[in-house]
Amino acid sequence: MASKLARAGVRQVKPILSVDHGEARQRVLNLYKAWYRQLPYIVMDYDLPKSKEECRAKLREEFMKHHHVQDIRVIDMLVIKGQMELKETVEIWKQKHGLMAYWKDTVEPKPQGFLNKFLDGHE
Amino acid sequence: MGHPGEGLLLGMGATRAQSSGPEKIEVFIDDQPVMVPPGTTVLQAAAEAGVEIPRFCYHERLSVAGNCRMCLVEVEKSVKPVAACAMPVMKGWRIKTDSDMTRKAREGVMEFLLINHPLDCPICDQGGECDLQDQSMAFGSDRSRFLDNKRAVEDKNIGPLVKTIMTRCIHCTRCVRFASEVAGVEDLGTTGRGSDMQIGTYVEKMLMSELSGNVIDLCPVGALTSKPYAFTARPWEIRRTDSVDVMDAVGSNIVVNHRTGEVLRILPRTNEEINEEWLSDKSRFACDGLKRQRLVYPMVKDSSGELRPCQWEDALLVAGRALAAAQGSVAAVAGGLADAESLVALKDLVNKLGGEATCTEEIFPEDGSGTDLRSSYLLNTTIAGVEEADLVLLVGTNPRFEAPLFNARLRKAWVHNELDVAVLGPNVNLTYEAEHIGEDPAIIEKLLSGTHPFSQRLKAARRPMVVVGSALLSRPDGGLLYARLQQLAHQLRAGCEGGAEWRVLNVLHRVASQVAALDLGYTPGVSKVRNAPPQVLYLLGADEGAITREDLPADCLVIYQGHHGDRGAEMADVVLPGAAYTEKMATYVNTEGRAQQAQAALVPPGMAREDWKIIRALSEVVGAQLPYDNLAEVRDRLTEVSPNLTRYGDVEEANYFAQASALAQLVKGKQEAAPIDVPQKVLEDFYMTNSVSRASPTMAKCIAAIKKEAANRHRDK
Repeated sequence: MASKLARAGVRQVKPILSVDHGEARQRVLNLYKAWYRQLPYIVMDYDLPKSKEECRAKLREEFMKHHHVQDIRVIDMLVIKGQMELKETVEIWKQKHGLMAYWKDTVEPKPQGFLNKFLDGHE
Repeated sequence: MGHPGEGLLLGMGATRAQSSGPEKIEVFIDDQPVMVPPGTTVLQAAAEAGVEIPRFCYHERLSVAGNCRMCLVEVEKSVKPVAACAMPVMKGWRIKTDSDMTRKAREGVMEFLLINHPLDCPICDQGGECDLQDQSMAFGSDRSRFLDNKRAVEDKNIGPLVKTIMTRCIHCTRCVRFASEVAGVEDLGTTGRGSDMQIGTYVEKMLMSELSGNVIDLCPVGALTSKPYAFTARPWEIRRTDSVDVMDAVGSNIVVNHRTGEVLRILPRTNEEINEEWLSDKSRFACDGLKRQRLVYPMVKDSSGELRPCQWEDALLVAGRALAAAQGSVAAVAGGLADAESLVALKDLVNKLGGEATCTEEIFPEDGSGTDLRSSYLLNTTIAGVEEADLVLLVGTNPRFEAPLFNARLRKAWVHNELDVAVLGPNVNLTYEAEHIGEDPAIIEKLLSGTHPFSQRLKAARRPMVVVGSALLSRPDGGLLYARLQQLAHQLRAGCEGGAEWRVLNVLHRVASQVAALDLGYTPGVSKVRNAPPQVLYLLGADEGAITREDLPADCLVIYQGHHGDRGAEMADVVLPGAAYTEKMATYVNTEGRAQQAQAALVPPGMAREDWKIIRALSEVVGAQLPYDNLAEVRDRLTEVSPNLTRYGDVEEANYFAQASALAQLVKGKQEAAPIDVPQKVLEDFYMTNSVSRASPTMAKCIAAIKKEAANRHRDK
């Protein structure tokens, strides 16, 4: 009886692409591989001042940013966005700085703490 | 010739506490009934009903002249319109402030006023804040019937502060009445009659008053404007920030007018309990000193002994290393412009490092109860309280130059309340008659024992005040003399009208920081530093030269924090640039013990920073981090030390006079023979008293003009 009530409590939602975690995981791995294989060409086409290894590390970092996500629909949406990003990159719809923005080279971290803010002129 | 309206003193604020007033009478303003006491003028009754009647010559703080006729209003059953400012109301009068007759009268008056008023509004400094401009738009006609040539009047040179364009004058005589009634200098007056009438000084001479700038605010047209501010800005371009003045210990309320990162002018803000609506010339015009001689970057002395600009990191590191190496041999001296926030931060830092000596430049005796009891160092009667006094004894002070607005209050009470003033000290001109008792300090002892002729007067007084100046307190025997005065004041208190409510003892300070510093537990005077020279001396805006290089050992490192390159920065090894009073949110406590907030109108120039933040940052470099990161937390700390410091706008009363007097009896010492003196005796001494006013070109011009004026053969010597 109790299990029946519990099951009724779980709301059925319309899946985006995947119906279970296994399928979602497969889609993520596929996207990862697609990016991984494309990386050498991206470095060449965009003339990025980065090595393949650095790009792979960044790719892994970008995927690991979302490693905590459990919701299948969110995973699917992230995969779709990843595919769009890949498509834009492959078709050279992006420009070099658009890719370099992943490294945030020119972004200075905001000073933390009173003394740093004071020396920086914010306090 | 003469001063119009003299003797007619209706509508003045200064009155001693009255018993229950007479019966009120009913009048009707535009059919709206109001109850007013008899003797009220039509204009005041209308104000009571919320109707403002246009006026030029009438001003509530001056006597009534009734010569501009702009306030004409219709009174039912009266044949002619009446001048509202001078006519007392009668029972049952029906006053019509917007009838056809009233409007026609105003339009006529405006037409007459504009016959001779030039049409130079586009080049007039008063444009945009001109009563005549505003009222001609509201009440005037769109055309004039007078086509004759306009009258022209020669401009008068009345000094470096007030610019006169006398053609614009509409002869309201506000300036004349202000000079003779409030400022107490009988220099301005009127000559000629009818269209030949002129306002002037009769013969060419300077308007020698410490309150002369107020005639600029009073002038309803552009006849009297500010010379330093001439052609600088229009009122609609200006941003206004309410703040507090720090040029003296009165704490006048001001409005800082600024644009594009610079202070253009300072105007008074009405506060009935402090400055009414006046402002002293130093407070008003010394603001151009905020742009000169400023410290804009940190500096450290190099190997050749010259101060070199550097980064904050370097300066903090040099200062921090020295402070850490001193191992507690640290002292601080606070100057007259320091705010309460930086004072508390500096005291916390010095104490945290193990130092004990936190001093102020201004001296206050430590004999008897010293500064332990708050009532011993405050102007206990309050500034507004002067209007209730009947006898004031000034000891070792010249309030005219040490606190011009306090002196204006004394004069107001002298004019309207028959206050008697007696002076113990040099016989200076206070702008009102004061009985000069003498300069000999021995007189104080005689007053206490009741053997001096003046003692009878003091005893007979029902609400006496004894005002002690810092000149007396800084004497070598200041402690003894002040103790005797404390006893005298307590003695007088017994026979007072208000009993314990009336406070007799008053201390008039000279600098804005003193009361806050004493509230926070600073030691007055630098003797502590002189007797035990520290390894590191921290000067917080200490520019008066109380301590010099000669007083310190050669290896003593001097850190100066402040906003002007003055005496303090000159002797420093490390200079930390701070903010002036217009550039920081800060707390100042005036001589009454009233805490007030200054607001930041601008940002500090260059690399300069708010003062408490510099000390907070330095504390972290030294490794003795202070536990506050923002203003609210600093103010919490202020509240912790002394809760009155953050009760803004209120006077925190102080008591324990009996105990202070009992302790004062124990004070023994040798009395010096030197007569009681004050440092500021003539107007020349008034203008430059702190680092801001010393850097001000306008103040320098004032002094030069007064020196030149000495050669004026028209000036009575």
